[in-house]
Amino acid sequence: MLKFPYCNVTDLNQALAQCRFVGLLGPLASRRRSPRAVVSCSPSSSEFSLTPVQAVMSCQQQVGSSLVNRLRLGGLTEDGFSYKEKFIIRGFEVGINKIATIETIANLLQEVGSNHAQSVGFSTDGFGTSPTMRKLHLIWVTARMHIEVYKYPAWRDVIEIETWCQNEGRIGTRRDWILNDVTTGEVIGRATSKWVMMNQDTRRMQKVSDDVKEEYLVFCPREPRLAFSEKNNKSLKRIAKLEDPVRYSKLGLKPRRADLDMNQHVNNVTYIGWVLESIPKEIIDTHELQAITLDYRRECQQYNVVDSLTGLELTEGSKMVSVGTNGSATATATTREDDHDCHRFLHLLRLSSDGREINRGRTEWRKKPTR
Amino acid sequence: MVATAAASSFFPITSSPDSIDSKNKKLGNGSTNLGGIKLKPSASSGSLQVKANAQAPPKINGTTVVMTPVEGFTSEDAASSLPPRTFINQLPDWSMLLAAITTIFLAAEKQWMMLDWKPRRPDMLIDPFGIGRIVQDGLVFRQNFSIRSYEIGADRTASIETLMNHLQETAINHCKSAGLLGDGFGATPGMCKKNLIWVVTRMQVVVDRYPTWGDVVQVDTWVSASGKNGMRRDWLVSNSKTGEILTRASSVWVMMNKLTRRLSKIPEEVRGEIEPHFMNSDPVVAEDNRKLVKLDDSTAQYVRKGLTPRWSDLDVNQHVNNVKYVGWILESTPLGIVESHELCSMTLEYRRECGRDSVLQSLTAVSGVGNLGNMGEIECQHLLQLEEGSEIVRGRTQWRPKNAKSFGKMDQVPAQSA
Repeated sequence: MLKFPYCNVTDLNQALAQCRFVGLLGPLASRRRSPRAVVSCSPSSSEFSLTPVQAVMSCQQQVGSSLVNRLRLGGLTEDGFSYKEKFIIRGFEVGINKIATIETIANLLQEVGSNHAQSVGFSTDGFGTSPTMRKLHLIWVTARMHIEVYKYPAWRDVIEIETWCQNEGRIGTRRDWILNDVTTGEVIGRATSKWVMMNQDTRRMQKVSDDVKEEYLVFCPREPRLAFSEKNNKSLKRIAKLEDPVRYSKLGLKPRRADLDMNQHVNNVTYIGWVLESIPKEIIDTHELQAITLDYRRECQQYNVVDSLTGLELTEGSKMVSVGTNGSATATATTREDDHDCHRFLHLLRLSSDGREINRGRTEWRKKPTR
Repeated sequence: MVATAAASSFFPITSSPDSIDSKNKKLGNGSTNLGGIKLKPSASSGSLQVKANAQAPPKINGTTVVMTPVEGFTSEDAASSLPPRTFINQLPDWSMLLAAITTIFLAAEKQWMMLDWKPRRPDMLIDPFGIGRIVQDGLVFRQNFSIRSYEIGADRTASIETLMNHLQETAINHCKSAGLLGDGFGATPGMCKKNLIWVVTRMQVVVDRYPTWGDVVQVDTWVSASGKNGMRRDWLVSNSKTGEILTRASSVWVMMNKLTRRLSKIPEEVRGEIEPHFMNSDPVVAEDNRKLVKLDDSTAQYVRKGLTPRWSDLDVNQHVNNVKYVGWILESTPLGIVESHELCSMTLEYRRECGRDSVLQSLTAVSGVGNLGNMGEIECQHLLQLEEGSEIVRGRTQWRPKNAKSFGKMDQVPAQSA
């Protein structure tokens, strides 16, 4: 078994350069330039003396049985600033429309985010906390999540998700995703999320010093890179609080055991399901979710009971128009006139007991495409 | 460009014509008795690694993926001709240095290439996306699943629903691979003509160990006859890396006319379609024949009412997915048991389906503590019914204290009680 005392690609490059026989190393060099090479030397792979060189090869070859190299069709990108992974859509992740549900998409986004954190050496608990964060009892908490899906994948489709994270303001971090169809290469969805650090004991948001941030920012792109780079895009839109009259509601939702994550909290994706619970069957049967934005306000515990409320989203000024024009108050609000096939809703999830807000959200629905 | 990138990530396989032919419908002669053997996937798949390309190339996203062979490695004959060692040639010979370094790197390259040819987990490379394939004389369907972080439950292991989803997925994929999917779910063309469908009546699952995040499980499934007019589907779930058996499950299916909702005999035409796929094997789980009692408000100790299906609970037919019943059964199991014990065995009898508008209640009675010779094990009886009374599922579950298995012995149990 050959041993190479090099720990990372740069050392290997130097060693090869010193040989000055570049011609003979042609095939080797080109293999080094293959995409998706893992740049860092993972500590858990020290049992294999060839592992640094394996690290140079494409991740997808999946040689080596270290914890990180599972059946995972993913790895850090060449510059190390983002992470890509492929997923196949399974039959139980598909809904009544025979396409992946939005919960499946959200679960995959969460999975690829955790895998990214893990691949850069962060915690293995699935929450992506850095070592310093754990020392300071800090955890990541989602503040906002925005997902847009342009084309839902079907059962057995393979999608690739790329994710990266960046600084956001003074106390936040954002994580962005782009979803692609592996065979056509087209973008089928985009998502962005905002996270803040919370002290897990006091349950309060906490501002952190720069050196705590540096620990993870070193893995983030240096230049701002946004999944939603267009101005005034929907991910930034403020969500109004749903006022009466509420159009649709589903009351008395209770967390099931399957809704709890490893830390016994209701996991983020469950809230998406609850928001959709109050959408009526007529919409679910004829339309598909185009975009969803959720602002997370308060945690929900396993013993809480939740009400899900939905109302139509009023466009700016429409309320006044409907009251003023013919002197009588009309109850219906109008959605954008030029888009009869598009519905926009505002949502509220609140505790049944005292009405305190847990989440607020907005969704957009488009007519189902013929498949 | 994306397609070739995906293709180049595949392990190159030379297809051999004498390999397992999934279209070859043997009549179960010389079949393998899986019930009696401890499966060692690494051993069996090692022999499969070259013969693997049994089916049509997998279709990803509706397009066929092309396997491109990796360029052959040609060893360069660098050190073959050296000049004779005269005085002049005894000066530092750069060509020898060149040869030595080249040999080292070429040998290294060969080692890497060798690693290509001896993958540690051949299944992963043959079936990188985990679509699954037919193995073992064309009668067993095998698929791998990677346990994802969101499939981990509050116990930090894969939930029982995740495991059952895998079983359901492989069952459907087996039918599709073997050409048994006619119009509907697992109904052959002959069945569709006569409006017949398969309906699961009974399910038994025994979990020896729950996988955790990052584990890759290998699920093998096959079908056999069950009596004269039934079918049995068995599953064997093992840890893809270690070969350890994690879960064994067995289900019984009967044929029903979907219009009249009456049980039906298997027509001869259909028998001809399905029997070639039956394997002659013992059930992988010893059948638990004890009668499942029907609980009611007086015999049940725990009741959870007002259970309603969510949109995500429904399958493509707008019925509640079978796997969701398990979650509801657990809803009325006391939290004390669920938190300190893990489900090690489950028997379910399916009676009726329910849809989006159903309102259900889940009843549980603890029927045995510390029996079956295993200290700390608890047994419960369950009933899931519509609030108006119709039965959906009857069940029995067995629970063992968490971490009992990690001691390596069945009879060693931690001091704390349920």
